[in-house]
Amino acid sequence: MSVPIVRRQLFVRKGRTLAGVAGIALALLLVLALRALLAGAEDRLTGYIDRSGADVIVAQQGVRTMHMTQSVISAPVAASVASVTGVEDATPIVYVPATLARGDQRALVYLIGEDRSADTIPLSSGRRARNGSEVVVDEALSGLIGAGTGTTVTALGHRFRVVGQVAGTASLASSIAPTDRTSLGRLTGNGANVGYVLVSARKGVSASQLASRIQRSLPGVTASTRAQFSRSERRRVGDMSTDIVRSMIFVGFLIGVAVTGLVAYGATLSQLRDYALLRALGLRAPRALGIVLGQVGALVVAGFVLALALVGTLDWLLPRLSPTLALSIRLGDILTAFAVAAAVSAVAAAMPVVRVARVDPASVFRR
Amino acid sequence: VRGTVPVARRQLLAEPAKLTVSVLAIAASVALVLLLTGLRQGIGAQVTLYLDRQPSVLVGQAGAQNFMAQASVLPETLGQRLEQLPGVASATPISQEFAMLTLHGRRVLPLLVGSDPGKAGGPWSMAAGRRPIARNEIVLDRVLAEEHGLGVGSVVTYRGTRLRVVGLSRGTTAWMTPLAFATRSTLNALDRRPRTAGFFLVRPDKGVDASDLASRIEGTVPGVSALTRTEAAANDRKLFTGAFNGILLAMVVIAFAVAVLVIGLTVYTSTSERGREYATLKAIGLGRSALLWLAAGQAGALALAGALVGTVLAFAGVWAAAALAPKYLVNVTGTSVLGMAAAALLMALLAAFLPARYLARLDPAAAFRR
Repeated sequence: MSVPIVRRQLFVRKGRTLAGVAGIALALLLVLALRALLAGAEDRLTGYIDRSGADVIVAQQGVRTMHMTQSVISAPVAASVASVTGVEDATPIVYVPATLARGDQRALVYLIGEDRSADTIPLSSGRRARNGSEVVVDEALSGLIGAGTGTTVTALGHRFRVVGQVAGTASLASSIAPTDRTSLGRLTGNGANVGYVLVSARKGVSASQLASRIQRSLPGVTASTRAQFSRSERRRVGDMSTDIVRSMIFVGFLIGVAVTGLVAYGATLSQLRDYALLRALGLRAPRALGIVLGQVGALVVAGFVLALALVGTLDWLLPRLSPTLALSIRLGDILTAFAVAAAVSAVAAAMPVVRVARVDPASVFRR
Repeated sequence: VRGTVPVARRQLLAEPAKLTVSVLAIAASVALVLLLTGLRQGIGAQVTLYLDRQPSVLVGQAGAQNFMAQASVLPETLGQRLEQLPGVASATPISQEFAMLTLHGRRVLPLLVGSDPGKAGGPWSMAAGRRPIARNEIVLDRVLAEEHGLGVGSVVTYRGTRLRVVGLSRGTTAWMTPLAFATRSTLNALDRRPRTAGFFLVRPDKGVDASDLASRIEGTVPGVSALTRTEAAANDRKLFTGAFNGILLAMVVIAFAVAVLVIGLTVYTSTSERGREYATLKAIGLGRSALLWLAAGQAGALALAGALVGTVLAFAGVWAAAALAPKYLVNVTGTSVLGMAAAALLMALLAAFLPARYLARLDPAAAFRR
C-alpha cells in the first residue's frame, strides 16, 4: 500500500496551492497571450488574401506583401496575366490605404478596388459595390465609427454609401473596404494601373507551377502562391515583434520561476518536519527529493493547463470586447510555453531540493 | 516598560530568501508594466520624428487626416497655386510611403520620404555620406543601416529597383517607422505617378497662425486637406499607439494579477505558517483590527518594495535598450512611476484579503492546543 505524499502535501493548504497554480498560469499566460494576440493580428492581416480564392498573387517585382506596401503593375502587364497558359481567371485589384470617416469618427482602412465581376472575399451581409460611390466595410466598423450598411462615409475626399459588410478583417489598426476599381484608380492617380492581380489556376495546374510560369512570362512582376504570400505577410508582424516576444518570454520565465519557487519552497519549509520524519522512517534522500520534484512538476503542469484554459477564455472573450482583437493559438506557441514551463520547473525546484537534501532525520526527535 | 514589537517587519525578514524572491517577482511585473507603457510612449514619440521637424502646415489629398499610412496624391503644380495664397511663405512637395525592405532575411518597414534636392523635406542631419540628389539613391537611418551591416556604397533592392546608399542620417531611428530618404523622382518612378506629390509642406509667413492658414487653404483650394503639423502628428500618434493599446492592456492586466498573487501568496504563507503565534497574540488581547493591520502592513511593504525595485529594473531596461538596441525608445515617465506606486497600494489591499480572512477566523484557543 502506498501513501500519495505529493498529493497530500499539496492539498494540506489548498489556498496556497491554488494561488501558486494561478500564479504560474498567469506567468505562462504572459508568454502565450502575447504570441496569440500577434498571431491573431497576423491572421486578420491575411484575411482578405486567405479568403480570396486566388491560387497565385501577382505583384510588382520584389513585392510579396499587401499591408503597408506599395505595388504598381502597369495596365498592359496586368491584362496579359490572363493570357498566360494555365490561368483560369485573373482579377486585378487596386490597394490603397485611406482614412474612412463618418462624421468625426475615423478609421484606417485599405480600400480595395475590384471589378464588379470580381468574386473575392465573401460578404457577411449586403452586396458588392457596383460603382465608385459604393463601398463594403468590415462589420467591426459599425461599432467603431458607426459605418453600418446604408450609412454614408467619406474617404480620399469622396463620399461612399456602405452597401455590404465583410467579417474578420479588422486587425489592431485597420480593416479592408472593397469598392469599385476604376473609380479608385482615378481617385489615387493610378489610372488604369493596378496593384495586384489575383489569379485562379485551371484544373490540373498547381499554384506553384502557375506562379513560376507567370514569373517567367511577364516582366517586372513577382508571382507568389497564396500560401507563400500569406506566409510573407505574417512574417512581417513576426519580424517586427521578435525582440518584444523574446523579452516577454524571458519575463514570463522569471515570474514563473519566482512563483513556483515561492509555492514549492513555502510548502517544503512548512513540511520540513514531515520530511525529517519520513527520513527517520527510512525514506532515502533521492526519494525525498523525488517528492519535492513531484510537487513542483504537479504545480507547473496544473499551471500550464490553467494557462491554456485562460488563453482559451481570452480567445472567446476579447473579440466580444473589441472587434479588432483576435487571438490565434498555435501549436508552436503552446510548445514554447511548455518549454518555458519545463525550464521553470527545473529552476524553481532547486531551492526546496537543497532544503530537503539538508534535512537531518534526527531533527524530528528534537522539540 | 512600554515598547513596541515590530511583528510585521520581523515576520517579513524571517526568511530573507523567500522575501527576495517575492520582491523580485513583484518587481518583474512592475518593470514589465513600466517598460510596456514606456515602449508605447516611445512609439508615439518616434512616429512623429519626421513631422516634428517640418513646417507647420501639411497639405494632402482631400480626406487625408494622417501623414503616415495614408494614400495622398496631388499634382505637383499645386505647389505654385499654394505659394500664391496670402500667408504662404513656401510650399514644398514631398512624396512618402512605407517601403517594405528585406534586409538580411528580416522584414524592415522604413518610411521612405522623397523630396526634391536642395529643398526642404530631406534628412536634417547626416552621420555619413551625402543627401540623395539623383534617381535610385537612398539615405538610410544610421542605426537601421548598422543593424543590417549596410553603409555608404551598399545597395538595397526595393520593388525590383536597386537603390544605392549614398548617406546615413542621424536622429531618424525608430522601431516601427525608421526613416529613409530618396528623391521624389525616385518614388514617383517606382509608383509610376510622374509629376505628382504626396503632400506639400507649407511654411506660413511670419506672424501667420498655422491653423488659420490650414483653414484658409482648405476653404480656397478644392480637393485638398490641410492640417497643422500638430494635428497630423496627433493623428499619426493615435493611429500607431492605438494599435498597441489592446495588447498593452492585456499584458498590464496579467502583470497586475501576477503581482497581486505573489504578494497575497507571500503574506498568506508567512501568516498561516505562524498561525499559532497569531493565535497567541489574539489570546493575549491583540484586537482583530490590529491583526488585520499586520497583514496589510506586510502586503503594503512587499508591494512598495516590489514597486521600488521594479522601477529600478525598468530604468535599467531603458538604459540597456538605449545602449544595446537604440531603435527602441522607451519613455518611462514620472506619471507612469506614480501610477505604478498607486497600483502597488491597490495590489497590497487586494493581496491582504486572503491572510486577513485567515486571521479573522483564527481561534485564540488554538494557541493552547498541541
